[in-house]
Amino acid sequence: MIDKLTRFTKTITRRSKALFADGGTVQDGGDESALLPRPSGAFFGSLPFWLPPFLLMGFFVYGAIGWNFVISLTETSGFGAVDYSQLDGEQYTRALGDPTFIEATTNTFGLLVAFTTVCLGIGLLLAILMDRKLRFDNGFRTIYLLPMSLSFVVTAQFWLWMYNYNNGLINSITSTLGLGRYRWISDPELVLPAVVFALIWQFSGYAMVVYLAGLRAIPTDHYEAARTDGATTFGLYRRVIIPQLKGATISAAVVLMVFALKAFDFLYSLTGSYIPPEGSDILATMMVRQAFRLNNQAYAAAIGIMLFVLAIAVIAPYLTYQHKQGEL
Amino acid sequence: MATLELDHVTKGFDDGDETIIAVDDVSMTIDDGEFLVLVGPSGCGKSTTLRMMAGLETVSTGALRLDDEVINDVKPKDREVAMVFQSYALYPHMTVSGNMRFGLEESTDMSDERIQSRVTETAALLDIDALLDRKPAELSGGQQQRVALGRAIVRDPQVFLMDEPLSNLDAKLRSDMRTELQRLQEDLGTTTVYVTHDQTEAMTMGDRIAILNDGRLQQVATPLEAYHRPANRFVAGFIGEPSMNFFEMDVQGEQLIHSTTQSQPHEDTVTYPLPQDARHAVADGTQVTLGVRPASIEVTQAPGPVEFVSKVSADHDFEAVVDVVEPMGNENNVHLSFSEKNHTTFVATTDGESNVATGQSVIAHIPESAIHLFDGDTGEALYNRSHTDTEAVESVQ
Amino acid sequence: MLVLNRSIGTQRLLLYGMLVALAGFYLLPIETGLMTSIKTNPLSTAPFLPPGPDGLTLDKWNTAFSQLSTGLINSIVLAVPATVFSALFGSMAAYGLTTLNWRGQLPILVLFIAGIFIPYQAVLIPLSKFWAVYVPLDELLAALWGLPLLEPYHGDLLALIISHVAYGIPITTLLFRTYYRNFSEEMIAAAQLDGATPARIYWRIMLPLSVPMFAVTLIYQFTQVWNDLLFALVVMGPSEGAPVTVPLSQLGASLSEIGFGVRMAGAFIAALPTIIVYIIFGEQFAKGVAT
Repeated sequence: MIDKLTRFTKTITRRSKALFADGGTVQDGGDESALLPRPSGAFFGSLPFWLPPFLLMGFFVYGAIGWNFVISLTETSGFGAVDYSQLDGEQYTRALGDPTFIEATTNTFGLLVAFTTVCLGIGLLLAILMDRKLRFDNGFRTIYLLPMSLSFVVTAQFWLWMYNYNNGLINSITSTLGLGRYRWISDPELVLPAVVFALIWQFSGYAMVVYLAGLRAIPTDHYEAARTDGATTFGLYRRVIIPQLKGATISAAVVLMVFALKAFDFLYSLTGSYIPPEGSDILATMMVRQAFRLNNQAYAAAIGIMLFVLAIAVIAPYLTYQHKQGEL
Repeated sequence: MATLELDHVTKGFDDGDETIIAVDDVSMTIDDGEFLVLVGPSGCGKSTTLRMMAGLETVSTGALRLDDEVINDVKPKDREVAMVFQSYALYPHMTVSGNMRFGLEESTDMSDERIQSRVTETAALLDIDALLDRKPAELSGGQQQRVALGRAIVRDPQVFLMDEPLSNLDAKLRSDMRTELQRLQEDLGTTTVYVTHDQTEAMTMGDRIAILNDGRLQQVATPLEAYHRPANRFVAGFIGEPSMNFFEMDVQGEQLIHSTTQSQPHEDTVTYPLPQDARHAVADGTQVTLGVRPASIEVTQAPGPVEFVSKVSADHDFEAVVDVVEPMGNENNVHLSFSEKNHTTFVATTDGESNVATGQSVIAHIPESAIHLFDGDTGEALYNRSHTDTEAVESVQ
Repeated sequence: MLVLNRSIGTQRLLLYGMLVALAGFYLLPIETGLMTSIKTNPLSTAPFLPPGPDGLTLDKWNTAFSQLSTGLINSIVLAVPATVFSALFGSMAAYGLTTLNWRGQLPILVLFIAGIFIPYQAVLIPLSKFWAVYVPLDELLAALWGLPLLEPYHGDLLALIISHVAYGIPITTLLFRTYYRNFSEEMIAAAQLDGATPARIYWRIMLPLSVPMFAVTLIYQFTQVWNDLLFALVVMGPSEGAPVTVPLSQLGASLSEIGFGVRMAGAFIAALPTIIVYIIFGEQFAKGVAT
């Protein structure tokens, strides 16, 4: 999502170059002025602009995470005030011994890995198909991306109906094909793959867009050079094109993982309650359930912190990479 | 009215642990009403110097004075300077009139009517009164340039700062604007600092030019002084087109010896007699650089076969072979080399009607009165051409 | 040549065939939902087929609309200000951290951008405690609820607005930063020399030139806020003030297959604003990538 919008921004900027008809940032002869820092007074001048949003955002994001961490060290359960007198890591050890937590963690990783890899694969395939100077390509792109604009709550409704045992379209197809009917949502063995499939439906278009932009950034002479070298189409993509899509893959993977971590809304909407279908519990749903249904606030806080650490493990290398690429 | 003085001004940038010195101990005074051109190659610190004058960069050490008042810490808007940028930097969402009004609206309490009349006046001066309601995107490059100038002039500043304002224009327009800018500056009489990397602009526009290299000030002088009496080898090479020819020479008694091999005097050596009045300037046994401008070299066709030519005895005549001829119309740039043994090449400018051709043997006359000598190590000028020539060249220009 | 041409033609045909089939895949769940929502009896024909001649009805839409109308109004009251303010704050932060360049801004910037990726589970408990225990807006602003059009549940809604503004700031900041990075540095310097203060530069130069980016940011942020369920659940739960996603997630949950008609209609009603916004935005975006 970020990359998509970032690129869109860049496009807008490119187009506005006509608007900035003063020549924009043309620096003839690469003189030193372009990258120079401005006067040191800029710090105080800049405060009124970034400090209010920073305080608001910092309070709700980083303040809340810090507070949440402290809560996770307490024993708090039930409503009412938090008792901060005794702080320890008990909630974390409790999690490690909790089969529900272990299952939710396994499911989370399964969902992350399956969802991300399949999304990337389908996205790449779609992008390669689309990158052939098609007519109506805007139309196709709009359709492939359409599910992404929908809320998890909405897509959950659609897929509940698709997966319906007696009348759902999926079962109509499988039974017509002689494969029989399945309880996609209520069978603990099937629900997670079914959810992953629905999420792939929703987000593979995004991966396609990222890859397509990556493909279009590759100069055509790379294709032509490989062609004159006698490469087959398959060899061309495997050895010339796909290696150049590393940046696109990393960006898309990170953003998809973040989407997957937010899949709470989808699972919640499948049942309309804090208890997702059996077999589909992930850390995100478990945390909310522990916090707001079972009132194990300290325990839920600890799960939240572990999710946060998981996210940081993905994000930190990504941001470092982006910074090195000068994209930050 | 406005004298701008740089007193040992230095600017360093932090780059990680290192400090990069962009401007190194520059001192100069720009007199009231003067048109000073700051010239130098890319990255020489000329833009940084200008931006310090504008207040867009802080001064690391040293003092910047406007009429004897230190303005190091005066904010850009309080300096009464106006700047014209290379990209023109017009506000794309405002009309020409809006662009010109902006500075007056932001920095003065002038009434709307006064602002309007100032804008109209300035627009008339620049011949852009018909464009006042257009947006920058609807203007040609030359028109945008005029608006950028108008935006600076309308504020009636103490000092104009111009950062390569003509470099985005095409060649024809550029030379027209050059003349017009000079005329405007003369009429307005406003102290002006003009940055360019183009030595032609520097030569033709400035009352004086300041040549910068590697952050250091090389010379401040009138254009002709810089041309005829360069302070060092860098200035000599930078000013003038085509560039001055340089020959590395060894001083041996009253002779300057140039050799491509380190061997004893042989067929490939070129010997130039040291002029009488230059002898005190150079020490025997040192290395110097001999400089001579292409325009000072006279090329005549060899009167006979090479054997005959080699017997030419005049001390200042050298046999040479034509490598390449670049016809420029009214003149030719002729690239020459001394001989097959000595491949040192040099350029001479000849009359456009003289017909020399590649491979031809010619005689190059390097007059004693036209040579410069520079220290072989420091590049500092030891001896400059006799000054009487100056007038002659002046009349040519 | 002829043979070659024909094979290329076949290839193209195959390609378009695949793309159309894929378009079908992406549209099918949506189309199925739409068809189901307008059938008198959802089970009368196969789910994806249109209703029979006598079976067309808008009853389901009426039912769903009446159940969701309060939620829709709440969503609008929520999404519009939350979107506008987070875009405005993002633009301010990006200006202060990009156009106004100062040393040491990178760590601040990293904190802003990392905020995009935070799993909200790590802030939910403090968030709900903050609004429920420490700053219960519905009680603090009790004096206001007597005014016309205002109800006590607007306190919860205000809390949700503020939360969305705060959590939206990171992404809006990034978007505006990307945009402002490409602004001409000389233009800003010119404005500085013209005597404009940073505030005046923001007001007279940056904001007027940010209109295209505001469009993008508003569209994106509107979709995000409109689609959110989690914050709404945590800050107010299924109360009177809840945005449309909350009642939608409950809609028809107790009903059998028959209820799916209402569910689908509800899903469409709730999704309509974002679908409309997306189709306009998606076209722009598609062209953008194509150029």
